[in-house]
Amino acid sequence: MIRMFHVDKNYPNKIQALRDINIHIKKGEFVFLVGATGAGKSTFLKLIYRGIVPTKGQVIVDGINIARLKPGYIPYLRRNIGIVFQDFKLLYDRMVCENISFGLKAVGATNFEIRQQVKKVLNLVGLENKRKIKPHLLSGGEQQKLCIARAIANEPLILLTDEPTGNLDPYTSWEIMKLLFHINIRGTTIIMASHDKLMVDKAKKRVVRLERGRIIEDTQRGIY
Amino acid sequence: MIFENMGFYFREALLSFRRSTLMSIAAILSITTILLIVGFFLLISVNLNLFLENLESQLEIIVYLEDNISQAELSTLTNNLNSITGIKEVKFVSKEEAYQRLSKDLGELKDILSAIEKNPLPASFEIQIKDPKTIEQIANQVTKFIKVEEVEYGREIAERLLNFTYIFRRAGMLILALLVFSSILIISNIIKITVYARRNEIEIMSLVGATSWFVKSPFIIEGFLQGFISSVLSTIILYNFYFFAINKVHQAIPFLPLVVDKVDLLPIGIAIVLLGSLVGVLGSMFSVGKYLNV
Ligand SMILES: Nc1ncnc2c1ncn2[C@@H]1O[C@H](COP(=O)(O)OP(=O)(O)OP(=O)(O)O)[C@@H](O)[C@H]1O
Ligand SMILES: [Mg+2]
Repeated sequence: MIRMFHVDKNYPNKIQALRDINIHIKKGEFVFLVGATGAGKSTFLKLIYRGIVPTKGQVIVDGINIARLKPGYIPYLRRNIGIVFQDFKLLYDRMVCENISFGLKAVGATNFEIRQQVKKVLNLVGLENKRKIKPHLLSGGEQQKLCIARAIANEPLILLTDEPTGNLDPYTSWEIMKLLFHINIRGTTIIMASHDKLMVDKAKKRVVRLERGRIIEDTQRGIY
Repeated sequence: MIFENMGFYFREALLSFRRSTLMSIAAILSITTILLIVGFFLLISVNLNLFLENLESQLEIIVYLEDNISQAELSTLTNNLNSITGIKEVKFVSKEEAYQRLSKDLGELKDILSAIEKNPLPASFEIQIKDPKTIEQIANQVTKFIKVEEVEYGREIAERLLNFTYIFRRAGMLILALLVFSSILIISNIIKITVYARRNEIEIMSLVGATSWFVKSPFIIEGFLQGFISSVLSTIILYNFYFFAINKVHQAIPFLPLVVDKVDLLPIGIAIVLLGSLVGVLGSMFSVGKYLNV
């Protein structure tokens, strides 16, 4: 599903965020991406949805070389990828349900499909009774859940989550983890960047460790 | 795809008007003000142009004829004059007419003419030309015709006047160009601010996989509406103000040449509406492009 060959990413300020990354993530896998702040986790995820292009090397997502992708086709790549951002990126002037329907409309769903999907994903994350309020009235954990709901609304092949349990209590974190496992079991490939030792250890999934832009460890059923 | 979603784009554009009413009103008022300034200058410049044309049209060539000109020679000369290109009108003034004019001009003093037995005034042609710049060349041409005693066209005044109108027109054009240029900059910046306020929305849309046209269209419609509404508003204000003002001016200075025909002012209205709408559309298109993550 995702392959990287000798990928380097340098930012314009000469910071080498990623160095010689080689990885193969298969369809349906659940992968934790761990490492200290600034290790390059968010950068790794950005490469996959083509938020950025690699400085060197190849990134292949679902058979597509993202560096060679023409701008006109980028939207179609992204429709296969759900993203839960580290900084949420919710629209705070729209209601909870509109935050989800907005993305679905953007990818060309019909009104009927939109109503169905919004209901379905809000049920899944347990926010159906909050659908008519604005996101700033939600708690932190609920906002995380809303981000997940939005990311999975058009049933993507890949789900990228950047610290989805950051700043949450262990109970809520585990709730969100269970939600992600549930999505994973239905066939979605998930990559989760995380600092959350407790969750990583408990989950016993593949762990990829980054240090100053390099992969220094890649273990099945690993720990933090 | 684009037309399929037209209804959606319009709804989104109007929704955004409603979500940020104050912002939209502020934008429209600012754009209206800029266009009022541009329009005001355009009105001044068409009137200035009319005034300059009026001045220039007063330039004429007077061709004095020898007294012994025969009827046949006179008609050849008339034909020759009329066949010169660039001539608007040729008017013959006979000796008698010249005499009458003079005595009329003298008024009370016309008795002094009775001291002279014979009419001393020559017959003449008064020539009006199309382009004042050609006055010298035409005058030179006329000098060569037979039975022409003297050609007069106020060389010095003509030159000075032409110099003056030339500088005035050039300066006007320059100011106009600067004004239009800066108004484009200012309007597109106002649009940019309204787009900037919604950069998150644009980024998120492009990250969930919206095509760039899908993201841009509501903004383009909104930009168009902002530009269009502002320009129509400023045109209405401008026209009302203008006709009110020229009425007052005409009461004070009745002989001042002013553009009063509504049809003559139509191009100004059209220019303002085009300027406003076009900059609205292009401004929003480029601003959105900046925040699209592709
Ligand atoms: N857009 C950018 N321009 C310049 N430098 C950047 C940019 N984004 C990230 N960096 C730098 O690249 C390095 C890796 O950043 P990245 O965001 O990938 O880290 P991270 O592992 O996600 O950290 P965290 O755990 O704090 O989220 C950092 O040193 C960061 O300062
Ligand atoms: Mg990060």
